[in-house]
Amino acid sequence: MQPTAPQLGIRRRQFGCLCAAVALLASSPASAHPHVWATVRSEIVFGPDHKITEIRQTWTFDEFYTAMAIQGLDTNGDGVYSKEELAPLAKVNVESLHEFGYFTFVHFGDDNKPLPLDAPKDYWVTYENPVSTLHFTLPLKTPLDPRPRPVAVDVYDPTFFVAFGFATKDPVKVSGALPAGCKVELEKPDADAAADAKALSEAFFSQLGPNSNFGSQFAQTVNVTCSKK
Amino acid sequence: MLACFALVIGIACAAAQAAPPSAFGGAPSASPSTPGPSAAAPNPSPAFSAPQAAPLHAPGLVGAFFSWVVDTQQTMQRELAGGVKRLKTGNRFAAAVSLAGLSFIYGVVHALGPGHGKTVISSYVVANEETVRRGVMISFIAAAIQAMTAVAVISVFAIALNASGLTIKAWSLQLESASYALIALVGLWLLVGQLRGLWRRWRPAPALAAAGAGGPQIDFDDHDHEHGHAHAHAFAHGGHSHDHDHDDHDHHGHHHDPGEVCHHIVDAKAVSGPMSWRKIMAVVFSVGIRPCSGAILVLIFALTQGLFWAGVAATFAMAFGTALTVAALATLALGSRELALRLGGKSGAWADAVWTACAIGGATLILLFGATLFAASLGPARPF
Repeated sequence: MQPTAPQLGIRRRQFGCLCAAVALLASSPASAHPHVWATVRSEIVFGPDHKITEIRQTWTFDEFYTAMAIQGLDTNGDGVYSKEELAPLAKVNVESLHEFGYFTFVHFGDDNKPLPLDAPKDYWVTYENPVSTLHFTLPLKTPLDPRPRPVAVDVYDPTFFVAFGFATKDPVKVSGALPAGCKVELEKPDADAAADAKALSEAFFSQLGPNSNFGSQFAQTVNVTCSKK
Repeated sequence: MLACFALVIGIACAAAQAAPPSAFGGAPSASPSTPGPSAAAPNPSPAFSAPQAAPLHAPGLVGAFFSWVVDTQQTMQRELAGGVKRLKTGNRFAAAVSLAGLSFIYGVVHALGPGHGKTVISSYVVANEETVRRGVMISFIAAAIQAMTAVAVISVFAIALNASGLTIKAWSLQLESASYALIALVGLWLLVGQLRGLWRRWRPAPALAAAGAGGPQIDFDDHDHEHGHAHAHAFAHGGHSHDHDHDDHDHHGHHHDPGEVCHHIVDAKAVSGPMSWRKIMAVVFSVGIRPCSGAILVLIFALTQGLFWAGVAATFAMAFGTALTVAALATLALGSRELALRLGGKSGAWADAVWTACAIGGATLILLFGATLFAASLGPARPF
């Protein structure tokens, strides 16, 4: 049997596809793959005018990440990792968080685009054996009144390198002047079968490229809702 | 030509090894590595109890599956931490055995994540005429190099230099970038090799004839391509893993006098080339210089517990696990190719098309994969 060029051309394309599909399949579950776990506690701060002014984040990391993060930072060798000794770590963490939107996405009503945030006012890292905790206060560029429309604060890493989960105990705190009729609560996860197709396609394609958004399906959300009068 | 590419790879390797943390522009400015007492002393504060996170939930069935995967990984990581600690307190032998087992399982699961060479190795074995046994061997060598890289990084930076975690992270990211760049180069090298082979085959017949005995001895007009036989041949001989040096493998064809009927699949052989240690080493090295992030974490954790040796043992147990997963996927990929070949029955054209598609497709995939991940690795450094 003698091969002819057109015949080869078609089959080659088909099998290029097949080989590619096999490789994609082999690499698909890759994104479900966090390396760092963080337990989140968030505090929603209201100003005197009942507007949300800032969000205080407290993220406690797992033991493995902590061991890595504090390695070499006990500079005076007293066996204690003081706030001062951990300051360089806090600085690098918070500065590089800027590129990632602080993994904190504030949505007003149905707006898809998260509201702009200012650089953290204060930040520090504490170490309490065996885990470390990053604290920072994240001001909203413009204070936000939650009464006209509900406000949602999502905490997640789009690339899912870090798995954020709210603490079982005291996940959300409110401080300042919470407007009457408003409440701040953690969103309960609900099963939504319609999300399956999306999640599946994202699972396939999110591994490659810097714009991965695989982690969004694991978003943890704090809702600020107010009853209409 | 081959030597030329090897040289490029060699230079790239040298550059990668010499690269300071700021090369490729991806890493944060490393904090000063302050010399001081080595392993971190524990800092007991019994009053503190770490907050526990609620299990993650994602919507839908797929989300539920991934939630489970994530949850299992976290449990496993906690178990690993516990396993290292038990070495100090409990029955040391039992603790060591359970740590090794846990690390192995962690490795099997962890290899499903990016950066353990599943895509590169699967593509490579499919693109080249590699056998299952060689696919397994390549997977194990790559995993072993990856484990050694992780141990070397921690030995040098954490133990010898008492560098900070930030510095170690920066170096790991550099190695990761270098690995992706090398993968892209290896892909390019393989692709050029495949295309050259293809070009020789598709060249007009007069040119072929003119090439004489020194040139490629492939001539479609004279050969009946019988794939089934050829593959059995590859299997039968693949197991020996001959350590040929195929520097001149461009001309390492079967000799056929004009008119002789060849029952080997010489065309595919010419496209992919026989087993080449140079190619294999390029593949395993490009994959292996990226330290496994899981291994880095285990090693540092073990170090802070004063049990570095346990971390090293766990790292190799983990590498064994990742190698198994990667080998299984490579075998699966080879099985798919075999299946594709069988679909065509005895059609030589079909077999030829499958071989060509896999050879070109596999090399292209390695190139694109490496290039994409390299580009991504140049993005902003992750905060944690």
